[in-house]
Amino acid sequence: MSSGSKVEYQKKEIPSRVQTLGLILTVLGLIVVLGGYFVNPARMAFNNIIGLTFIISIAVGALFFVAVEYLSGAVWSTPFRRVSEIISSFVILVPIIVIPLLFNLHSVFHWTHPEVVNADKVLSGKAPYLNINFFVIRIVAFIGIWMLFQYLITRNSRKQDSTKDQNLTTKNIKLSAVFIPFFALTISFTGIDWLMSLEPHWFSTIFGIYYFSGTVVAALAAITYITIKLNENGFLVKGLTEDHYYSLGALLFAFINFWAYIAFSQFLLVWYANLPEETFWFLQRWEGSWVIWTVGLMVVHFLIPYFGLLSQPSKMDAKKLKFFALWILGAHYYDLYFLVMPNYSRDGVALSWYELGFPILLVGLMILVFVAKSKKQNLVPIGDPKLKRGIDFRL
Amino acid sequence: MMKEKILYGYTGIFNTPDEITHASEKAVEKGFKKFDVHTPYPLHGMNKAMSLAPSKLGYVALALGLSALFGIIFLLWWISAVDYPLVVGGKPFFAFPAFVPVMFEVTVLTASVGTVLAMLFVFFKLPNNSHPLHGTEYMKKVASDKYGLLIQADDAKFDETTIKGFFESLHAAEIEAVYWDEEEINHQHKILTPKFLGFLLVAGLFTSGATYFTLNKLMNMAPFTWMMEQQKQNPQQKSLIFADGFGMRKPVEGTIARGYLPYEYKGQPDVAAEKLINPLPVSKSVLELGQKKYDTYCSPCHDYHATGLSRLRGQFPNPPSLHSEKVRTWKDGRIYAVIMDGQNVMPSYANLLDSDERWAVIHYIRALQRSLNAKESDIK
Amino acid sequence: MSSVDYTQELSVVEGKPGLRELDDLFSKPLNEKPNKKFYIALSITVSLMSLLLIGFGLTIYYGIGMWGNNNPVGWAFDIVNFVFWVGIGHAGTLISAILFLFRQKWRTGIARFAEGMTIFAVMTAGLFPLLHVGRPWLAGYLFPYPNQHSMWVNFTSPLLWDVFAVSTYFTVSLIFWYVGLIPDFATLREQTTGKIKKVIYSVFSLGWRFSNRHWQHYEMVYLILAGFATPLVLSVHTIVSFDFAVSIVPGWHTTIFPPYFVAGAVFSGFAMVQNVLIFVRKIFNYEHIITLDTLEKMNKIIMLTGSMVGYAYAMEFFIAWYSGVQAETFTFFNRALGPYAWAYWIMITCNVISPQLFWFKKIRRSIPIMFVVAVFVNVGMWFERFVIIVTSLSRDYLPSSWAYYKPTLVDGMILLGSFGFFFTWILLFTKGLPVVSIAEVKAVVDGAQPSHKGHE
Repeated sequence: MSSGSKVEYQKKEIPSRVQTLGLILTVLGLIVVLGGYFVNPARMAFNNIIGLTFIISIAVGALFFVAVEYLSGAVWSTPFRRVSEIISSFVILVPIIVIPLLFNLHSVFHWTHPEVVNADKVLSGKAPYLNINFFVIRIVAFIGIWMLFQYLITRNSRKQDSTKDQNLTTKNIKLSAVFIPFFALTISFTGIDWLMSLEPHWFSTIFGIYYFSGTVVAALAAITYITIKLNENGFLVKGLTEDHYYSLGALLFAFINFWAYIAFSQFLLVWYANLPEETFWFLQRWEGSWVIWTVGLMVVHFLIPYFGLLSQPSKMDAKKLKFFALWILGAHYYDLYFLVMPNYSRDGVALSWYELGFPILLVGLMILVFVAKSKKQNLVPIGDPKLKRGIDFRL
Repeated sequence: MMKEKILYGYTGIFNTPDEITHASEKAVEKGFKKFDVHTPYPLHGMNKAMSLAPSKLGYVALALGLSALFGIIFLLWWISAVDYPLVVGGKPFFAFPAFVPVMFEVTVLTASVGTVLAMLFVFFKLPNNSHPLHGTEYMKKVASDKYGLLIQADDAKFDETTIKGFFESLHAAEIEAVYWDEEEINHQHKILTPKFLGFLLVAGLFTSGATYFTLNKLMNMAPFTWMMEQQKQNPQQKSLIFADGFGMRKPVEGTIARGYLPYEYKGQPDVAAEKLINPLPVSKSVLELGQKKYDTYCSPCHDYHATGLSRLRGQFPNPPSLHSEKVRTWKDGRIYAVIMDGQNVMPSYANLLDSDERWAVIHYIRALQRSLNAKESDIK
Repeated sequence: MSSVDYTQELSVVEGKPGLRELDDLFSKPLNEKPNKKFYIALSITVSLMSLLLIGFGLTIYYGIGMWGNNNPVGWAFDIVNFVFWVGIGHAGTLISAILFLFRQKWRTGIARFAEGMTIFAVMTAGLFPLLHVGRPWLAGYLFPYPNQHSMWVNFTSPLLWDVFAVSTYFTVSLIFWYVGLIPDFATLREQTTGKIKKVIYSVFSLGWRFSNRHWQHYEMVYLILAGFATPLVLSVHTIVSFDFAVSIVPGWHTTIFPPYFVAGAVFSGFAMVQNVLIFVRKIFNYEHIITLDTLEKMNKIIMLTGSMVGYAYAMEFFIAWYSGVQAETFTFFNRALGPYAWAYWIMITCNVISPQLFWFKKIRRSIPIMFVVAVFVNVGMWFERFVIIVTSLSRDYLPSSWAYYKPTLVDGMILLGSFGFFFTWILLFTKGLPVVSIAEVKAVVDGAQPSHKGHE
């Protein structure tokens, strides 16, 4: 028997200065974004895509994490599953972020220009899929699916706080199982629609999985950072140890490796076969100063987090984990930039105040949503039958 | 004759994981350093209970992995870019992306195998079947379903009189003294015994002998020679098909070599002059060919500039100049007839130049002739 | 009312057997003489294996012409079988290494057997690249050693990467298996009464003493090996997929191959392991060790990986259309409607449809149905490799180069015989080594660990 038979959780309010920070960042971000749209709408639209795919990664990825916990029967993540659930509610931001884009599709997607499509046999062939109507229907449907599952799963989890009904866990397991195939398809096609079709002549069957790998890594990083920050300040349940942190660190490490594996496989196959219809996409990312950004991607997204999280102690260390969690979130944004921006600026990296708009805005919005949601619920699923086992979890 | 038995240590058997954990903590408390816990499977928290420092094998794996990685990168670079560079599939010599799979495999192989070998042979000093604990009842029990604590006699805090009391205070189920056996006490680490070294020597000899035999003898025996011994005719080899035994045969009667189509106007230079037309264009490559062949075959007699003042001047009769009115007005076909039949002292050059070369030489001669008889229009 | 109580951890081993009991249970097959059933089973597998030997002999003596390979279908049964058997091997490492990293205790009952299957599957797989080179007696040239030609192997070729990957996989799996066996050999050494057996066990146990000072390092190395084996197993089937994906053959050159092949390998591997375990637990009375819960979890993994394979089929098909590359679009229609449509539809039925049955708990927990589903999965996965390899080669870019491939009797003998080879090793394994990891199972029995763990 471990530390007492009672679960010790005290609901605390997140201090108002956090909300203030969120507000400041949101306003600042909004100014930059709106200003940017006014001055250079095309450039801002590309940034908008980066922001959109970034927030989708975090929100839907967090929901994926919740689903996997239910399906695998894992207990170590139960004590902070509510954190993941709240992060998944960021999905509410997706329709907001997508709206400016829907008015600017012509600036970013070649295939939205009928004169371009009609002159090009290949693009005309893709038109049944790459046309504005179907495109919009898709993103609307995806958002609907994500919001539906997010609502149903988290509602059951919150209900369980008071009813302690184990049937709700069974229900959520079933919901999670049904969610997974929807997740696989919606995330893949989000990547294909918003990232791959920026270059409509290019194609890669692994692209959906590439975006998925970035999604998982980013969601894990967000969950890790917020969980540790909350735990250190006493917002979560008592009894979380280094062993819980280790599990998060190990997953982060594993999925960094998975991302590198997917990225390398895609590159190697295109490089090896050397077909111009495929290689040009990578060659675009080797033009001018893009070569620096591309080489940097391997360092930032793989080498540094790999060696940083390789040792066992580093996976348990709160300070290191928080650092690398933020680093990895940055790396995911870097990756999305790598995917998107070469379509805007062919001859080199374009970095200016425009690019700061969405990161600042999104961080601000995420803080605001998190604080708002945390006011209305417990930060720990106190009614979950696995909670005690989760707190007692040791390696 | 029973020798005085030397005490190795005292052991105590415990029945539950909680008891052995507690016992271990107590042993640490008491200040024992040379003690050990024996369990049929690893117990959680035992490392802490024994106050053990974390294992350093992780560093071993890291060191092995990194050295293997850099080693294989170097080897791949040396093989592909230095020793025998070959262009394969249009890839650069040091095709880094293509080398990544091999780099990965070699790193994992070296690190895994090396770490295990380091653990077994260096950290554990295994194989060792001659430890005092082997053959004891204690070992039988801890190998199956009991948990044991051992305190060595050579520990600083060990006292033969009080040790039993210590175990009793822990409520050990059985307490046993363990002694060194004859051969155990003489046991050295097996790596360095003469027997093992002898084994290594034999293994080395056997391996090199087998390698020598395989590469120098076996590869020259069937079936490895099947590719070399083929049923085809090799040059200079006796033929099994032809009666005269010659593998190399003359060409069939009537065979014409390329470029050596039969010349129909033998002895009829005037007919040749009428019938034969120079088929080649006057182009740079034709003139270059003509120059090359002229310099080789014609210049010894007619000189490089066709003046006849060649290396053979002063002979009787002198080789003629080709700039004479007669030759200048000759048709190409008439010159061709001279090349084919010869003329006076000049032999036939039919076998030395093929038909294209002859016509090219003729174009060149025309160029030489024009050089000493240029018209005003040529200079413009 | 909920039928499951999530507050309680499920017992990995049912019935709380004593540790001594487990020793006896797992060493029983090793101490008893083989019975009639064993000999009957062995005679079947050995006869099948003799088919393999005959097929091999004919191939080595008369040449590859004994097979149905033609131009353009230069790779057929040989490579299909190779990929099939390597894939089967992957389940073992996944169970041993990946489930270990995820701290899934239910793996302990099946890890030893699965790892053994990995080693035997890789051995079986290795026979094919060896044989298909035509002059297998010159296979030494595949390894980069300084030779009299002054030439080296082609490091840019995925066929060579295979040589490194499969040999590394075999070696590391063998070492991993052996490390796990050391404590068990020691237990057997202490238990056994036979003199010769005692010597053999003493040698193989290296004199292991169960000292915790050793367990500490042992656990670290086990973790390191698991940590290495995980990316290794992913890399092996990835490199196998590179054999196809680096080419420009339509239907082969597609970036999704690496994760798709890995998922497919785990899929077929788990199906084979599940099939064999159903027999093992019955024959040896290990039903409380290899529980129905374990089998159900395996079926969930089969369904998950089967869905991944289905995803890959769908994505390949979509991108084949999306890309606008005529040759790709044609390839996919050719697979479904061309001369090999029969193989394609077997593949779809077995791989996409049958694992989806595992959505239903009743089916997941029904031994006869799950057995049949797993057999279908293996059949389907064999056909998947057949469809990929043969249809793409049989009809690629130039219609004038198209040709139909038909296997010969020798091809069939080798395929059937490979099963004999594999199962012969498995039977010998069950009699020579403990098929369940004794030390690991003891560690997860209820009450095996101190209750004070984590006591601050």
